[in-house]
Amino acid sequence: MLKEQVLMALDSLQANKFRSLLTMLGIIIGAGTLVAVLSLGNAVQSTVFEQFVDLGTRRIAVLPGDPNAIGARNTPGYGLVSIQDYDALKALVEQHPDIFRTIVPEVSAPVSVRAGTTAVQAALVGTTKDYQAVQTVPVAYGRFLTDADEDQSARVGVLGALVAEDLFGQDPEALAAAIGQVIEINGQPLQVVGILEQLGGPFSSDQRVLAPVSTVRLRLVGDLDLPGRGLEMSSILLALESEQNVDQAEGLMRSTLRASREVAPDQIDDFRLNLPTQALGVLAGINGAITGFIALVAGISLVVGGIGIMNIMLVAVTERTREIGVRKALGATDSDVLGQFVLEALAISLVGSLIGVAGAIGIVLLVGVATGIGASISWTAVGLALAFASAIGLGFGLYPARRAALLQPIEALRYE
Amino acid sequence: MATEYLTQRSQIDYVTEPVVRIEYVNKEFTSGDETFKALDDVSFEIHRGEMIAIMGPSGSGKSTLMNLIGLLDTPTSGTYWLGDQDVSKLDRTEQANVRNSQIGFVFQSFNLLPRLTALKNVELPMIYGRVSLRERDLAAREALASVGLESKMNNLPNTLSGGQKQRVAVARALVHKPNIILADEPTGALDTRTGNEIMHLFRTLNREHGLTIIIVTHDPDIGRRMDRVIGLRDGKLSPNILREYYNVEMLDADNETITIEPTREKVAVERIANQAAIAPAS
Repeated sequence: MLKEQVLMALDSLQANKFRSLLTMLGIIIGAGTLVAVLSLGNAVQSTVFEQFVDLGTRRIAVLPGDPNAIGARNTPGYGLVSIQDYDALKALVEQHPDIFRTIVPEVSAPVSVRAGTTAVQAALVGTTKDYQAVQTVPVAYGRFLTDADEDQSARVGVLGALVAEDLFGQDPEALAAAIGQVIEINGQPLQVVGILEQLGGPFSSDQRVLAPVSTVRLRLVGDLDLPGRGLEMSSILLALESEQNVDQAEGLMRSTLRASREVAPDQIDDFRLNLPTQALGVLAGINGAITGFIALVAGISLVVGGIGIMNIMLVAVTERTREIGVRKALGATDSDVLGQFVLEALAISLVGSLIGVAGAIGIVLLVGVATGIGASISWTAVGLALAFASAIGLGFGLYPARRAALLQPIEALRYE
Repeated sequence: MATEYLTQRSQIDYVTEPVVRIEYVNKEFTSGDETFKALDDVSFEIHRGEMIAIMGPSGSGKSTLMNLIGLLDTPTSGTYWLGDQDVSKLDRTEQANVRNSQIGFVFQSFNLLPRLTALKNVELPMIYGRVSLRERDLAAREALASVGLESKMNNLPNTLSGGQKQRVAVARALVHKPNIILADEPTGALDTRTGNEIMHLFRTLNREHGLTIIIVTHDPDIGRRMDRVIGLRDGKLSPNILREYYNVEMLDADNETITIEPTREKVAVERIANQAAIAPAS
């Protein structure tokens, strides 16, 4: 019986090909949109994720411990971070290249910077070439720091945008001409090799002067060593290979630091790890919002498609009142008739969603080839589209089918 | 009881069990405050193997009666026995099942489904009867052969003539071996000659296969060729309606098929055989 009814439903679609196609249009567009946008959305999101990396989703910062911790005030230098920690972590990073990408020191000190007759206050940051891997430091003029600068303790520095503007003005030509000039940091000469783009925000490098760690330590600031522990660092930044490594990396870093800093098992950490949980949370939120919005739009389209189906099924029931009467006279029960019309609605929505999904797959593959972004079909979206379309077909087919099923056979047979 | 039947229906020349028994049936329709009595205390029987007409002027209640017999409607009061089952108080699904298994419909306007071939149209009652594809196919071919349309079974209805369409409809009505065939003005949409052919087909099926056939008609020329006429006027039975209303006489058994059917001798032989076969059972 079911087979017969499926055949009847498909036959009835065929009988009114053009009308069926028009009816399906809503479902085709809805299902197609859902699959296309979710599939392309994944690819676009991957790209967006890459952009957000600099914001810190793949970075863990080691910061000094809480100065208010119990006993902290009685211990000179409690919680401070030094080159000893850096070396221990550096060994860890080299041991786990699959988890960590690189390690970057940050040695900072407030300094006064002077160029000619102009002087400003700025934060001097000693770091390495890999700072670019953990911070957003796009270079506007000149170049960034190099390994050679570090090895030679070269007297070179990169200026944040605001520092450069304060010293040389806003004129692009003046800024370009500043490259190669020598400025003074706390009275020590430093050659400007690069100027950064302005980024804004409290955590940007706009008000910083970046220089090699060895230069900062040996030539610019002087004694920054902690007693018996070597160079003090304001923070140590570790870049991760991926967001998925955050938990594992955190555990490794914590145990490494506790060992190297000889923290007793019953004591709390005398350092802090700044995890990218918040940034990841923001990403997840954005992700969810985008997905939700797309699903909503596609869902609305599918519902509109469903209303189209209901409309055409009501027309079909009226048109075929006589046929319903004949079928009933020949022994079709109410549920036979109900089943026939529900299946017909289901067939419209399923065939429609299959067409939509096929079209969407074509579009996604085309866009993938044309733009080179890694577009892959979201089979979840395909499943979702088919399931939702079926539910729509069932839901909106039920009312017209019920009308057909409850027709009185005499009335139906008499219908002209 | 049996003797009473015999005396009451003296024109019926053989005895068999009743297949339709209508007892004190009333049917009222209410519109607003007005109640209209379409059938008023109607009782009669139809016996297996009979070919009868239900006749009456329009508004007499014959359509209502046909709907009741066809289980397309239920009586307001009274009882309807179909075979040995009281079918007057069935729900919709039970009615559908009884229609499916025990009644074959033939309509004035054929009512074939235009998208289905003749064969598929004939299979339709068996689809709802959950008969397997193989059996269905076999029975439908046989039924089409019995109405002389084996060569047209893959035709769609709109490629058939009116007479051929009605033959397909007849095949559809008899394919699942129903207790009764109910035909509503079966010649109404046909010209006289084609109409006669259909009536001849009914008569042949009745005589050769013992089918019980009930024809609703207002055509006295059809009525007088039946075994018997159930007449209705104003919702009441009207025993001599042919003479009183239509001014014609019933034809006797030998003349029933005159002008429409050539082989009288064969029919007579069959009748005697029928009588002999059924007599011991009663």
